[in-house]
Amino acid sequence: MIQFHANSEVMGGYLDRAFTRMAPSLDRKLACTAKTQDEIGHAQLLYRAAETLGVKTRDQMLDELANGEGKFLNCFHYPVDSWYEAPMIDFFVDGAAMRRQATLKQTSWEPYAHAMDKICFEEGFHVKQGEDILRELMGSSKANQERVQSVFDEWWPRILQFFGPTNDQSTHHDFASRVGLKTMTNDELRNAFLNAYIPKARKYGLEIPDTPRIEEHDDGTWTVVEDDLDWDEFWTIAKNDYEGSHEQIGTRTQRQEAVEWVRNAIDTPSGGANAPQAAD
Amino acid sequence: MIWEVFRQEKPGDYHRHVGNVHAPDRGMAELFAQIQHARRMTTNSLWVVPQDEVSEIDAEDANFGGTTDKSYRWAMTFNRVDASFAAEVAESEDEQREAAKQREEADG
Repeated sequence: MIQFHANSEVMGGYLDRAFTRMAPSLDRKLACTAKTQDEIGHAQLLYRAAETLGVKTRDQMLDELANGEGKFLNCFHYPVDSWYEAPMIDFFVDGAAMRRQATLKQTSWEPYAHAMDKICFEEGFHVKQGEDILRELMGSSKANQERVQSVFDEWWPRILQFFGPTNDQSTHHDFASRVGLKTMTNDELRNAFLNAYIPKARKYGLEIPDTPRIEEHDDGTWTVVEDDLDWDEFWTIAKNDYEGSHEQIGTRTQRQEAVEWVRNAIDTPSGGANAPQAAD
Repeated sequence: MIWEVFRQEKPGDYHRHVGNVHAPDRGMAELFAQIQHARRMTTNSLWVVPQDEVSEIDAEDANFGGTTDKSYRWAMTFNRVDASFAAEVAESEDEQREAAKQREEADG
């Protein structure tokens, strides 16, 4: 679970990287680079927290991510093509991530909990930045509003699937919950997310798509009609076998190989027989 | 030999530096750390570290950030949207605001 989380930070950072180039102004570009830097930093914190469990080393986990064995969030398997998608990732997906991460400050594995303290400290900037982009786009031309609505229609089902299958379909929950790693169920998290973010989407004039059907109850909970979601695609993604998975993982693999010389240089700090010691 | 001592009060808390002890070896250091720093104070765990193994970088050696304008990476900058709709976002912004305030005070 921690490895999955760390991998997701890396892959999320890679998606975010694309927005730096697409961003329409210098301010936005700066914020995008800062956010990408944060995400990669979060991955480092989480790989360390995972390493402390003594099961796998960071190198092993990075190799697994590069060779397609490492798993990561469904939303980061889809490529992004335009700036209109920035609020989808930076507001809705990050908002969903933050909802989940806030509950993990109380997780039972202390190094994980402490990593979450620092991560949550930084995430507020990401979500507000994302909302600000949404605000700006939805307050601009009709054409822009329609473009945002169209990518929202596309992303909405993926965002609903962010929290995984409903409780009765969830396969990993029992173990993670029993050992206290996970502190809330998929349904509880999805409910909390929908309560906060659906009003926001509406506030900016986004229409919630008719399908997948979602229904609000008087007690503030939501029912998502699971059958309306594409679970074949979800489980294909979960196996890293989606078209986008190959593309995203391929990008990561190339990077991993391209900077191998850096890792090697760091692992042999003397850098050759005559070089001075780094310390002293 | 000097050993630095970090005490954690409750499970889940951070280990905080509480002082140091003289001791000839690790075993004695652990014992003295317990006696001097964990006897009365609530303690869940102690870290005991040889002083030589602790590296220090202070504000004279390094710029710890804040010398260039990086307002674009603070939540407070995005003040046309309101964080209060989600407790976790508001909390993060509060933490950032507090950190920024403390740094300003430190800079005088």
